[in-house]
Amino acid sequence: MLTTVATLVILGLIWGGVYLLMAEGLNLIYGVMKVVNLAHGDFIVFGGLLALTLFETFGVSPAVSFPIAGLLIFAFGALVQFGVIERIGLGRPDAELRTLLATFGLSYVVANTSFLLWGSQFQSIPFLQGSIQLGTIAIPEALLMCSAIAFAIAIVVHIWLTHTMLGKSVRAVAQSGLGAASCGLDIVWLRILAFALGSAMAGSAGALLIALIPFQTASGSELTVQAFTLIALGGLGNYGGAFLAAELLGLVEVFTQYLYGSNAASALIYLVFIGVLVCRPQGLLGRVGRV
Amino acid sequence: MKQRYGEGLVFAAVLLVGLAIAGFGTGYQAQTLFQMVMMVLLAVGWNVISGFTGYVSFGQVAFFGFGAFAAAVAILNLDVPWYVAMGIAGAAAALVALPLGLIMLRLSGIFFALGMFGLARIFQLTASSIDITGGPMGTTVPGAESPNLTAIVAIGITAVAVAITYAVSRSRLGLTLMATRDDPVAAQAAGVDIWKAKVIAFCISAAFAAVAGALYVWNVGYLDPSSAFAGTIELQSVLMVLAGGIGTVWGPVIGGVLVSLLSTFLWASFPMEQQIVLGVLTMAIAVFAPTGLMGALRQRGWIRRAPIWGPPLAASASPVTTTAVPRDAGGAPVLTCRKLSVRFGGVKAVTEVDLDVRAGEMLAIIGPNGAGKSSLFNLMSNFHRPTGGQVLLDGQPILGIAPFRLARCGIARTFQTSRLFRSMSVWETVLVAAASVAPDRHEAVRATTEILDRIGLLDRWDDPPDLLPPGRQRLLEIGRALALKPRVLLLDEAMAGMTLQEIERVHDALRAAIARGTAVVAIEHVLPAIAPLAARVQVLDFGRTIAEGIPREVLRDPIVVEAYMGAEYDA
Repeated sequence: MLTTVATLVILGLIWGGVYLLMAEGLNLIYGVMKVVNLAHGDFIVFGGLLALTLFETFGVSPAVSFPIAGLLIFAFGALVQFGVIERIGLGRPDAELRTLLATFGLSYVVANTSFLLWGSQFQSIPFLQGSIQLGTIAIPEALLMCSAIAFAIAIVVHIWLTHTMLGKSVRAVAQSGLGAASCGLDIVWLRILAFALGSAMAGSAGALLIALIPFQTASGSELTVQAFTLIALGGLGNYGGAFLAAELLGLVEVFTQYLYGSNAASALIYLVFIGVLVCRPQGLLGRVGRV
Repeated sequence: MKQRYGEGLVFAAVLLVGLAIAGFGTGYQAQTLFQMVMMVLLAVGWNVISGFTGYVSFGQVAFFGFGAFAAAVAILNLDVPWYVAMGIAGAAAALVALPLGLIMLRLSGIFFALGMFGLARIFQLTASSIDITGGPMGTTVPGAESPNLTAIVAIGITAVAVAITYAVSRSRLGLTLMATRDDPVAAQAAGVDIWKAKVIAFCISAAFAAVAGALYVWNVGYLDPSSAFAGTIELQSVLMVLAGGIGTVWGPVIGGVLVSLLSTFLWASFPMEQQIVLGVLTMAIAVFAPTGLMGALRQRGWIRRAPIWGPPLAASASPVTTTAVPRDAGGAPVLTCRKLSVRFGGVKAVTEVDLDVRAGEMLAIIGPNGAGKSSLFNLMSNFHRPTGGQVLLDGQPILGIAPFRLARCGIARTFQTSRLFRSMSVWETVLVAAASVAPDRHEAVRATTEILDRIGLLDRWDDPPDLLPPGRQRLLEIGRALALKPRVLLLDEAMAGMTLQEIERVHDALRAAIARGTAVVAIEHVLPAIAPLAARVQVLDFGRTIAEGIPREVLRDPIVVEAYMGAEYDA
C-alpha cells in the first residue's frame, strides 16, 4: 500500500515535468499577446507524430528528434503569428474573440492535416523500455528521461527570458506592447518570436509525450484543455505557479487514473478546469502573474 | 417598414421552396435538406448566446448531444412519440442550462469558450456511461419513417426558432442583451439586469441546440456518444454564424444554407479534406471579414438593422412633462454617506467621508487627481463594496442592492471615461435605460424621445454613438442616466472636453432635472464648469473631505489652495 502510494507520488511528480513543458509554451504566448492558441494541443500532437515518422524512417529516438520537431513547429508558429494573428490587430475591442475563432479554425486545420498524414489510430514510440528500481519502487526510464528533458527545456527558456536581452525584450512586450514599442523594440518581430517559441515548446513536448503515452490525431483538443487548465491553475502568465500546477496536476492525473480509470481522469481534468476558472480565476498563487 | 416586410417575404419564399423540396423531392434531396436545416437550427441557437450575448461558446455541442440523448431516453424508456420526445429534450436542456448558466456565465471570453468545451467533454463522458443508450457503443432508436417527413418537421421547427430570435432581437430582451454584450458595467448602470438577460439567452440557446439534437437522433435512428458530441458539429455551426454575420438574425440562416451546401459538396468529393477547408474558412473569416456577409452588406449601406422600437415620436406627440416636483432643498437628504471608507490593498482610496445631498440641489465634489472622487462614486452606486461606513438612500442602507436595481431605484451615474454601447444607436442607448424603468413600451419611447430632445440629439437619433463628437458622447451618457428618472444623479467629470455650447446644453438639462427635484452630485476638475449650478461644494484630498461650503468661499480656503497648488503657493 505504502509502496503504491509512494510510486504514484513519484510518478505524478515526474509527469509534472512533461505537463510543464506542454503548458509553458501556451503560457509564453498568452503572457505576451493575451492570446490563447486553441491549436496548441494539435501542435503537440503534430510534433509527436513528426517524431514518430523520424523514428520509423531513420530510427531516431525522441530524445534526439525533439529539437527537430520543435524547430519545424517553430517555423510553422512564426507563419501563423505573421499570417493570422498579426492581421487581426491586437488591442482592438473584438480582437480576443477573433483570435479565439481563428485559432479554433486553426486547430481543425492542424488536427485534420495530421489525420491526413498519419491516420486516426493511437500511436506511440517504443523508447527506453526498462525501469529503474528505487528499493521496491519502479520508475520507467522513458518517463524519467523525457521529464528531465522537459524540465531542462522549461528552465532554459525561463533563464533566457530573465537573463538575456532578447528574452527581456519579449517580457517587455508582455507587460506593455506600447511601452516596448516606445523604447524602440520591434514588437511585431518579438511577438512572432514569442509565438514561434511557444509553438516550438509544444512541438518538443509532443515528441517527448508520444514516447510515454500513445495518442491519436484527435487528442489535440484534450491536450489544449490540459495545458490551459494548468496555466489557469497557476495563474495565467505566472511561471512559478505553472510549475506548482504542473506537479499538482501530474499527481491528480496519476492517482485518478490508478483509482478510477482513464475516463474518470479526463473527466476530472475538465472539472478541475471549470472549478478553477469559476472559483479562483486568478490562479493558485493568487496574483495576476506576468512573464 | 418596407424593409421589414421584405425580410419576412424573402424568408417565407425560401420556406415555401424548402417545404416543396421536402414534400415532393427524392429521399436524397429531402435528406440533404434535413441536414442543412438541422445545422441552421444549431447555428441559430449558437448565435443567441455567442452573437447576441457575446459569450462565444465552443461547447454548444454539449446541448446538441444532451438533446439527442434526452430524446433517445424518452423514446426508449417513456415510450413517448417523437414530437413529445423533442419537447422533452428542449425543455430539459433549458432546465439544465439554468443552473449551468449561473455557473458558466461567471466566466467570460476565452474562459467561457473553453469552459464550455470542457463541459461538452464531461457531457460526452457521462453519456458514454449510460446503460440504456448502450454506453460508448450506442444504440438504435426508433426513427422516422420517411426522410420527407423529417425534413418538413425540421423546416417547421427551424422557422419557429428563427421567428423567436427575430422577436427577441426586436424586444426589450434583445435591447438588454446588446447592452450587456457591448459593456456589462454600463449596462448595469443603465438598470439592466445582465444576469437575467444572459441566463435567459443561454437557456434559449441550449433549448434550440437540444431540439436540433433530438431531430438528429429521430432522423438517423441511431445514437452514439462520439457522433452526438462530434467536434465537426461545433466547427460547422461556428462557421455558419461567422460566414453569415454573428449577432444578426438572418446571418446564421444565410450562412447556414451556404456553409452546409459547401460542406455537403466537400463531403461528397473530398471527405478527407472537408474539415481542413472549413477550418481555413473559419480562420479567413475571423481575420478578414469578422462581421460576415451581413456585416459586408451593412458596410456598403445596402441593408441596415432597423432601430428597436424606433423611430422617435413626432415632436408634437411628446409634450415635455412639466409636472415639476416641488423643490424641497430644506428637507431630509435623499442620499447620505456616513464615515464611508474603502481600501484597495494598502491604499486608502476613501476615508471616513460624510456627505449629504437633498432633493433639488446640486453638490459639487472637487479635488486633485487621485483624491478618491471616482472611488466615492463607485461606492455610492454599489459598484464597489465599502470597507467601512455606509451609504443611505432615503435613510435606508444600499448595501447589497445590485447596481442595476439601485439604478432603477433612483441612483443613476455616468462614468469618468465614456462608456457607450458600441453597436447601439443613440436612440437605443437612451432607450435601454428608459425601458428598464418604464412600465411599458409606449412610455419608454415617449421618455426617450423627450430626453433626446432635451439634450439636443433628437436629429441624430439613428446614428451610432461613435459618430458623435466627444462632447456629444458625454451628453448622450448624461441622457442615458436621466432616462432612469433618477432621484440622485452622479456625474463623473461629465463636462470634461465639452465645448461651451455643449456645457450650456448640460446646464439646461441639469437645471430642468434639479427643478424637478433630482439631487445631483457632480465631480469636476474644473469648478467653473458647474459653479453656476452648485449650491454647495465639497473638496476631497487623499480620500478625505478637507473643506465644504458654498463655492465662492471654499475656493478661497487656504487648505484647498494648498491641495491644488502645493504648500508654497501664495495666493
